[in-house]
Amino acid sequence: MANEETTRSVDAVRPRRLDLPVVARHPLGHGFLRLSLDAPPDWLSLPGQFINVLCESDMAALAASEGRDAEVEADWPRATGIELIRRWPVVRRPFSVSRVGTMADVASPGRVAHEVGRMRLEILVRAVGTGSRFLHSRPVGSLLNAVGPLGNHFAPPQDDRLCILVGGGCGVAPIFGLADHLADLGKPCLCFFGAKDAGDMPVTYRRTPEPTGSRIAPTEVVEEFAEDDIPAVLATEDGSAGFRGMVTDALEAYLRDAWKGEPLALFGCGPTAMLKALGAVAARHGLPCQMSLERFMGCGIGVCLSCAAKRRDPSSEKGWTYRLTCRDGPVVDAADMIWD
Amino acid sequence: MIRPEVDLSVTLGRIAMKNPIATASGCSGYGEELARFFDLSLLGAFVTKSITLKPREGHPPPRLTETRAGMLNAIGLANVGVETFLAEKLPALEAFRVPVIVNVAGSTREEYVEVAAALDAAPAVAGIELNVSCPNVKEGGMEFGVEARTLAGLVEAVRQKVSRATLIVKLSPNVTDIAATARAAAEAGADALSLINTLRGMAVDGWTGRPALTNVTGGLSGPAIKPVALYMVRRVWQEVAGPRGVPILGLGGVQFVEDVLEFLRAGATAVAVGTANFVDPETAPKLVEGLREALGRLGCGSPRDMVGAMDLPK
Repeated sequence: MANEETTRSVDAVRPRRLDLPVVARHPLGHGFLRLSLDAPPDWLSLPGQFINVLCESDMAALAASEGRDAEVEADWPRATGIELIRRWPVVRRPFSVSRVGTMADVASPGRVAHEVGRMRLEILVRAVGTGSRFLHSRPVGSLLNAVGPLGNHFAPPQDDRLCILVGGGCGVAPIFGLADHLADLGKPCLCFFGAKDAGDMPVTYRRTPEPTGSRIAPTEVVEEFAEDDIPAVLATEDGSAGFRGMVTDALEAYLRDAWKGEPLALFGCGPTAMLKALGAVAARHGLPCQMSLERFMGCGIGVCLSCAAKRRDPSSEKGWTYRLTCRDGPVVDAADMIWD
Repeated sequence: MIRPEVDLSVTLGRIAMKNPIATASGCSGYGEELARFFDLSLLGAFVTKSITLKPREGHPPPRLTETRAGMLNAIGLANVGVETFLAEKLPALEAFRVPVIVNVAGSTREEYVEVAAALDAAPAVAGIELNVSCPNVKEGGMEFGVEARTLAGLVEAVRQKVSRATLIVKLSPNVTDIAATARAAAEAGADALSLINTLRGMAVDGWTGRPALTNVTGGLSGPAIKPVALYMVRRVWQEVAGPRGVPILGLGGVQFVEDVLEFLRAGATAVAVGTANFVDPETAPKLVEGLREALGRLGCGSPRDMVGAMDLPK
């Protein structure tokens, strides 16, 4: 499907509330887990979009996933199976769709037997709180209740300029899907991944990555990019793999030493501090940069207004307005951001 | 048992609702957001977020946090302002063919009056709901809705400019006696009362001492406040609404069909769904169908027959 046509189709998709079966679990160490979910055949989403996941399944789904009889309240249909009183966390948790594809073509380690025609979504979950630990506990075959697809998405460049994808921590999640998408469109890509140390990287290594100190050395060690031959520059704070330092410092070094000034497009997702630094790098070099923000969300569908973030707005007296991360995001133009 | 044909229709002031289920202000946006999940015309009424005279950006985030069985929010009345609302949001809402109740907030009596008058002039607005939990900047920041005399003054002033739309006053639970403010609102000309608004609350991290919200305090909603809401609906129904025939739109932690039945029995004519929309945006239409079945099961032909119907100890 042509790029514009895909975008139009995706923008016309209405989000749905779905029970998505867990079809595979890939623990990646350091509290990272990649969950593969079975989605309806008509699922359509683009990189950057997210699903809002109930971190404690409804009682029936929970019972079913644990092999118990789900018909405990069969004589009285509840309006909704989600009982807030017994639930914690109360509200859903947003997760970027990390990768999406038919079961056959999502090439990820630990692939399970697949059914042709079904779609598969992947999310990346780092165990940090009650909600994410709940997701870590879900076995294959259990159901995750999700609302999606939600939010906007990254826009590929119109020309064939090099796309530089920068991810940090759990924020690398949408980078995988974005790389798949850009590769499908024939756009050249280079990834920069940052983490505290070599083990902290939510990727599968084909071999042990080497430390390169202050040198920028794109490698082929990331299994997830093998199929599309996308090189990745790794950066670790302790120097145990790739560049020693922050991923944005690695990018800065690359631009200083290897870049000849040809057109580039930057894409980023990661912790707020990383995005802020990435925005500064982009501004310094006059490069276009799209980034996916992370914010706490009460609803994910644009009604609770809790995920507001400041954006430049020349039409406003103050020069900025609050925009919703769930609806007017999560992908934003770095130049529009105002960091508090 | 032969189940009667259930007629779900109710009347709230002059608003003919096809069923007693409405959305709650602030939990349903301007309509277009929830309309992506269900047909809004299935609802008895749609209540918008608070609209003010001028657009408002709202409080700096974080604006919302979870609490046990509930949520605490301090959004700060972020909204597009009445002018944009009338020009852009209302026509879109009108197309959904659902009675529209517009929630109104202000920081002075004049602001409320101006917004309410502009809305009353728009035929697509079926009802105006006054959010009286806002600080009155001219009177030392005390909320309009906590003191009966201040509240009566506000409702009277708005009433003079609202002749067509149904005027609903949304009562604050942060008062000593909700019957006193309910009586003041009814005597000042309210066609209906909605209760309860959120309970004032606070959340703080015990380890760091940091408040969960930038605004420090916020409004508590969700199942955590349902017993308070039921009590207040009952009290207002007994003391004010019942004797005067002023209907109540009940809300506070409604999520299940049982909750709707409970609010009806406490004295509400209609019921609004708020926080539950965040977790399941399809809650309201499911409640409509669930209520139809529940009433059939109870052998009750209309939710009107349930209003105030409690089986009290002799």
